[in-house]
Amino acid sequence: MNKLALTLNVNGQDYDLLCEPSRTLAQALREDLGLTGTKVGCGVGDCGACTVLVDGQTVNSCLVLATQAAGKAIVTIEGLADGPKLHPIQEAFVEHGAIQCGFCSPGMILSAKALLDANPAPSELEIRQGLSGNLCRCTGYQKIVQAVDSAARTLRGERTVG
Amino acid sequence: MLLPRFDYQRPRDLSEALGLLAQAGDQARPLAGGTDLLVNLKLGKVTCRLVVDLDGVAELKDVSGPGEAPSLGALLSAAWLAKQAGGLGLMGLAEAGGVLGSPQVRNRATIGGNLCTARPAGDLCTALLALDARVVLAGASGRRELPVEQFITGPGLTAIAPGEILLAARPAPGATAGGSAFEKLGLRRTMEIALVSAAVWVQSEADGRTVKAARVALGAVGPTPLLARAAATALVGRPAGTEAFAAAAQAAAEAARPIDDHRGSAEYRRQMVAVLTRRALERAWSRALEATA
Repeated sequence: MNKLALTLNVNGQDYDLLCEPSRTLAQALREDLGLTGTKVGCGVGDCGACTVLVDGQTVNSCLVLATQAAGKAIVTIEGLADGPKLHPIQEAFVEHGAIQCGFCSPGMILSAKALLDANPAPSELEIRQGLSGNLCRCTGYQKIVQAVDSAARTLRGERTVG
Repeated sequence: MLLPRFDYQRPRDLSEALGLLAQAGDQARPLAGGTDLLVNLKLGKVTCRLVVDLDGVAELKDVSGPGEAPSLGALLSAAWLAKQAGGLGLMGLAEAGGVLGSPQVRNRATIGGNLCTARPAGDLCTALLALDARVVLAGASGRRELPVEQFITGPGLTAIAPGEILLAARPAPGATAGGSAFEKLGLRRTMEIALVSAAVWVQSEADGRTVKAARVALGAVGPTPLLARAAATALVGRPAGTEAFAAAAQAAAEAARPIDDHRGSAEYRRQMVAVLTRRALERAWSRALEATA
């Protein structure tokens, strides 16, 4: 099989890769770039653990070929914090106990970011719908929904994180 | 879960894409959003040596302009439909796009992919059937068009010929003169395959009371999305309202051919066909009045 030379722009930085055509974006991020914040759960697009942003839209990176993401702006969980300062959504997840084992958190947080970028004041139902492609087996979702609602208020400037 | 190895090509136009498919024969698979093909490759349900990524074929993202007969390129995503199809006067299709799979899947899944996957519960297939849509196919020997009803021939089966590419879905030219709606019932509110779905399209006479034309399509209650012709007959020429909608809902339930499975009984599905059809008709009719006004 012919290998493909491609450039991935991840969290604002360009990475040159030589990879098999069948390499998924999730594999390239984790194994070639060492960005293991992106998790892989089911591998078939059901669980959302591998969610990343491509040109601002959430995708299951296990169902996108690395080559399909070339030339696009990819954001992973590693790209969210500002140096040591966590993103308000990450802060809210910590504050509300929305993280237990943590395996779903990167995907959950990126889905929340895409939701809040498009809809800064979502209802509870809209939050649940926005996160419907991300499974969590620990929290029962309630604390995650509360964290996203809280982060939305922070991002709207209605509350400040202590 | 790993993908098997394959070669990859990203043609820059349609003739290059058709050439690659013709050359590789049944060893090649066209790739649109990948939400079905990549899963099936991983699960070993599909094998191929060459993946032909259609993303570079600009024509497959074409959309008809205002005032033109509606035409939707095969690579438009479910998320795109959810946002944009309403503005084209195709609200039923927008609603179907908005409830397909998860947000992540909607961002990738395409009209062409949903049609070619041809599942009995396919949300976009059912919505397009109600809009009397035709599919445009291109192959080595030229282009042809088929109604969605003839294109989908069985569960997972279509009339697409080897080497052909689905270019676009074209709702009937008069589709925007009426109103449409899509109703989906699952065991959950989101991230769900339809247990039953109903897509309807209705058009009002100039009097704003009488149904001029109607189409009712049902998902997940037969081997393919079904057109309930008797439900349309129960509407046309009658005053729109509770009575006519109830008669159409009953006719739709009778037209359904549901099965019992682990997700629901046939009897439950049949009853829900009537409920969803009535709800969809109420919403579609108010849209039809807006389209007539």
